[in-house]
Amino acid sequence: MPDDLTDDFAAAVRRAGVAIPPDRWEPMREAYYRMQELLKVLDDPLAYEDEPASMPRYDRGA
Amino acid sequence: MSSDLSSLALPTLAEAGRRIAAGELSPVALTEAALARAEALQPKLDAFIEITAERARAAAKRAEKEITGGRRRGPLHGIPYGLKDIYDAAGLRTTAHSRVLIDNVATTDAVTTARLEAAGMILIGKLATHEFATGGPAWDLPFPPARNPWNTDHFTGGSSSGSGAAVAVGILPLAMGSDTGGSIRLPAAYCGTVGLKPTYGRVSRRGVAPLCYSLDTTGPLTWTVEDTALAMQALAGHDPLDPGSADVPVQDYRAHLRDGVKGARVGYCGAFNRDGEVGPEQTAALDKVAHELAKLGAEVIEVALPPNAQFQACARTISHSESFAIHADVLRTRPELYARVTRERLMLGGFLTATQYVQAQRLRRILTRKVDALFETVDVLLTAVIPGPAPVLEETDDGPWRRQQPLASVFNVTGHPAMAQPCGVAANGLPLSAQFVGRHFDEATVLRVGHAYELAAGWVEKRPRIASLGA
Repeated sequence: MPDDLTDDFAAAVRRAGVAIPPDRWEPMREAYYRMQELLKVLDDPLAYEDEPASMPRYDRGA
Repeated sequence: MSSDLSSLALPTLAEAGRRIAAGELSPVALTEAALARAEALQPKLDAFIEITAERARAAAKRAEKEITGGRRRGPLHGIPYGLKDIYDAAGLRTTAHSRVLIDNVATTDAVTTARLEAAGMILIGKLATHEFATGGPAWDLPFPPARNPWNTDHFTGGSSSGSGAAVAVGILPLAMGSDTGGSIRLPAAYCGTVGLKPTYGRVSRRGVAPLCYSLDTTGPLTWTVEDTALAMQALAGHDPLDPGSADVPVQDYRAHLRDGVKGARVGYCGAFNRDGEVGPEQTAALDKVAHELAKLGAEVIEVALPPNAQFQACARTISHSESFAIHADVLRTRPELYARVTRERLMLGGFLTATQYVQAQRLRRILTRKVDALFETVDVLLTAVIPGPAPVLEETDDGPWRRQQPLASVFNVTGHPAMAQPCGVAANGLPLSAQFVGRHFDEATVLRVGHAYELAAGWVEKRPRIASLGA
């Protein structure tokens, strides 16, 4: 696993505000790595007009 | 009314409704049979979190009185059902199979519960689930995981695990599930039942514990496609107090159920199945489904879905992010209340960025348009929902990151209605399953194609051996 992702993981855990027991640190770091690998597809550039699927619809009330 | 009940599985919704209407079957006797089966099979299957016998008996007496008094409400009146234990039923606990909600008593019915109660159905109990409809089978929870009635050493699929087991073994002709990434269709597939994830917004989610607001759906598991049509007729409809609910007219799900598939265009997603690492037995079974539909007069053409990795990136980013937002407080302050597998999978959502979430929602719209475009040339899609038969329960993946890329969550991302139904039996005796997918809010076509296949293929006749009490 790349070192920068190890550092990223430690920072992500701090930012999330959760506690991971020492014996589960490695499996969680591995899961984080797998997740980031899968999510690389989200870095592909999108057109300006590609708006998110979850846009608000005020015609139906709040 | 007489009670001509066998020791085998309860009759289907359709059959029970016909016999009750004809005065041949008593709701009281039917309810007693369901309760007896639930109690007898609970030690083997752990399908229930709570069996609500007293409440069921009182409801059955009321139903019988109404029906004999000429006030039959409709085809579901007097028939037992069950609720995944994330659905509220007034006066009963909704635990979500978790210590977090162990003392949570609902004060009102979920909208779906209320609709089934208004139809005169009789609640038999609350059913096992994966904790908060996520995580996986876990032994460090207040209740054990449900077991697969085809082989109790095997996984039911989840998260509507008790619903799949209870319907497959004929305790209940209808059980409610929820589906955020396949949680209706996976237990349906592994347990050999029918399970429909309706279009997002078709069935109310109000009063059902949320997992992911923009992916959650609620829907039925039944033994037959006709029963799913009957259930959907009661369940579907606009709920103005559910922010995701759609104000779209409800179809008549039975009007064209028996019209067959002659001329229907079926898009077979063979390449997607290979992309999703579907095994040879499941692939061969799906090929046979395509062949059977062609024999029945459908036009079967190969179509290509976008790569599964794109759907998975969307589904996992959105689901993990939203579920972490829901559970963040308890994860930070009382994490020990969750099973390890639930806690770790929920925590992953806290490691995602806002940019990843927005990008996933942008990609989701693109993928939805691409699948919509397929429906310009086909009426339904045929695709895999599981890679093969149910794995051994104790060998189920319990790591924080699921190794297997799910196939089912594709249509949670796009919101299309998707139904799993039996299409064969693997060499180890466990069910295989096909998935039919339709246009948004066109559940009727999915049901019509599924019904035609079900009648032709005959898998509906095959119940797990344990369904015969004493086996």
